[in-house]
Amino acid sequence: MKLRVYAIAYLIFLYAPIILLPIFAFNDATIIAFPLSGFTTEWFAELTQNRALHAAVQNSLIIAVCTAVFATILGLCAARAGAMSDFPGKKGITGFIMLPLVLPEIIVAVALLVILRQVLGLSLGNWTIIMAHVLICTPFSIAILNGAFGALDPSMEEAALDLGESRWSAFRLVTLPLVMPGIISSMLISFTISLDEFIIAFFLTGSNPTMPVYIWGLLRFPKSLPVIMALGTILVALSVILLTIAEIFRRRGVRRAGGTDTGGFL
Amino acid sequence: MTDLIKLRGVDKYYGDYHALRDINLTIRAGEFFSLLGPSGCGKTTLLRVIAGFEGVSGGTVMISDKDMADVPPNQRPTNMVFQSYAIFPHLSVGENVAFGLRKSGLNKADKASAVEEALSMVGLAGYGKRAAHALSGGQRQRVALARALILKPKVLLLDEPLSALDKKMREHMQVELIRLQRAVGITFILVTHDQEEALVMSDRIAVMFAGEIGQLDDPETLYRRPNSRRVAEFIGKMNFLPGRVTATGDTITLDIAGFGVTDVPAVQAPEGATLGEAAIGIRPETLAILFDGEKASRHEAAAVVDEVVYYGDMTYYDVRVNNVPEPLTIAMKNMIGRPVLDVGAQTRIAWDERAIVVF
Repeated sequence: MKLRVYAIAYLIFLYAPIILLPIFAFNDATIIAFPLSGFTTEWFAELTQNRALHAAVQNSLIIAVCTAVFATILGLCAARAGAMSDFPGKKGITGFIMLPLVLPEIIVAVALLVILRQVLGLSLGNWTIIMAHVLICTPFSIAILNGAFGALDPSMEEAALDLGESRWSAFRLVTLPLVMPGIISSMLISFTISLDEFIIAFFLTGSNPTMPVYIWGLLRFPKSLPVIMALGTILVALSVILLTIAEIFRRRGVRRAGGTDTGGFL
Repeated sequence: MTDLIKLRGVDKYYGDYHALRDINLTIRAGEFFSLLGPSGCGKTTLLRVIAGFEGVSGGTVMISDKDMADVPPNQRPTNMVFQSYAIFPHLSVGENVAFGLRKSGLNKADKASAVEEALSMVGLAGYGKRAAHALSGGQRQRVALARALILKPKVLLLDEPLSALDKKMREHMQVELIRLQRAVGITFILVTHDQEEALVMSDRIAVMFAGEIGQLDDPETLYRRPNSRRVAEFIGKMNFLPGRVTATGDTITLDIAGFGVTDVPAVQAPEGATLGEAAIGIRPETLAILFDGEKASRHEAAAVVDEVVYYGDMTYYDVRVNNVPEPLTIAMKNMIGRPVLDVGAQTRIAWDERAIVVF
C-alpha cells in the first residue's frame, strides 16, 4: 500500500508538467496560472496563422526526415556488420560508434560549430544540423537494429545464398524483410529525436531556425506563452504516437525473426 | 560408384585455431555419408567448407572433378539443410520451397507443380499455402528438405538435422531420410554427434576428432573394428583390459589380465600389433552372464556382480573379474525365465576371443 502511494507520487512528479501543457493550451487566458478561466481553441487557431512558425516546422521536418533516413542507413550497415561478420577490431569499432550516446550534446554542438565555421569556413544551414543529428541518432539506430539482427538466425541469409541467390539479393529478399520492423522503428525514433533536439540545432542553425529554436525565441514574449503550450501539446501527442508505433514495430520484428523480447525503449 | 567429392589436404585455420587438419576424403556419388564426432571436432566446419560458406586455408575441394576454390556457395551443386532449418518466416511454405527456383526460368505453372511435387515427396502435400512460422519442428525440417531437394543438387548437406526433434520424431525422421535418399539417389552428407544416428543411416562414416578424421569405414566395421581407443569409446561402449602381446604374425597371441592366453587373427588388431603391453577392447554385448547350468561356447571366467542397471529390455551388469583392474560392463537381453542378478552375486561370465579388439 505504502509502495503504491510512492509510485503514484512519483508518477505525478514525472508527468504533472506535461499534463499542464494541454490544460493551459485550452485555457482562455494569456497568463499561465490557476484558476483556469475558460475553454478556448484560440491558441491552436493562432498556430495556423504564424508564417514564421510554419517555416520553422518545415525546416524541422526536412531535417528530421533526412536524419531518420541517413541515421538508419548507417545503423543498418553497422548492425549488419556487427551481427553477421567478423573483422579485426570489431568490438572497439562498435564501442566507438556508440560513443555519441553518452557524449554531452553541448560538447558535440560546440565542437561542430568550431570545425564547420573556424576550421572549414563553411556556412551554416539545414545540412549542418542534419549531419550533427545523424551523429547523435546513429547510436540509437544501431541499438534498435542490433536487436533486430540479434534476433535473426544467421543461417537465414546463408540459406538464401545456398539456394542460388547473390549476396545482395539474399540480403534484399530475406534479411531486409525480417529486419524491416526494426528499420521502421529506428526511423521513427531518429525522427522524434531530431524533431525536438534543441542544443545542437541552436548552435548550428543558420538564418532559418528549427522549431525548437523558434519556440525558444518565442519565450521572450509572455503573450505567446499559451501558443507555445498549444504547440507543445501537439508535439507531445506526436512524440507519444511515434514512439508507440516504433515500439510496436520493434516487437513485431523480434517476434517475426523468432526471438524472445529482451527489452526496448517502452 | 563414381567419386563425387574429393578433398585433398584440406586445412582450415581460424586465427591460430587449427579447425581442420589435412583432411583427405573421397565421397562417392549416391552414398549416404556421415561426419560423426564430438562437438568442436570440425565436422560442421568441414560441411561448410564443402558448401562453400567457409574458404579453405590449404588444400583443394573438388566436386565432380571441378575445383571449387573460386566457386561461391550459390553456384555449387550442393544444397544445405541447416541445423535451425532457416525456414524464411515471412514467406509461406510454398514460397519457401519455391525460393531456389527464382532464377530457374520456369513459368508459374511449372514452378507450382515442382513445389507440389517436392512437398509431397516429404509428405507435406497441400501445405503450400500455410504460413511457415506456424509449422512444428518436424514439419519445418520437411520444408527445409523440400526446399533443398527441389533444386536437384548433386549433394545434399545436412547439418545436425534431427537434433532439434524429440526422440520419437527423430527415430521416425531417420527412417524417412533413408527412404528419401534411396528414392532420389542424391548423395547425402550428414553431420551428427549422435553415433546411433550415424550407424543407423549411413553407408560410410568418418569419425572426426580435433579436426582430423580418426576412422573412415562402413558402420559395421567401425563398430566391430574401431582403429583406436577414442573411436571405440565414442561409438558404443567398450570395456578395456590390460594385456600383453606375446607373439605376432597371422595370428596374435595375447595374455589378457584375468582372462588368460588366447590367439586371435591379425585382423583383430586394426592398427597392427606389437610385442608388449596392449589394451584389449571387448564390447558389453559380446560378454554374457552364464545362468545356472549354461555353458560358455568358448571361454568363461568367474565374476562378482558389482552394479546392476535395469533398462527394461536390457540389463547392464558391472562385474568384477579377478586380476582385472576395472569392472567389466555386460549387456544382457532380459529373456523369459532369466532372473536379474543382485549386487554381490557370484556368477560366471562367457567371453569370446573373436569379439576382441587389440589396441
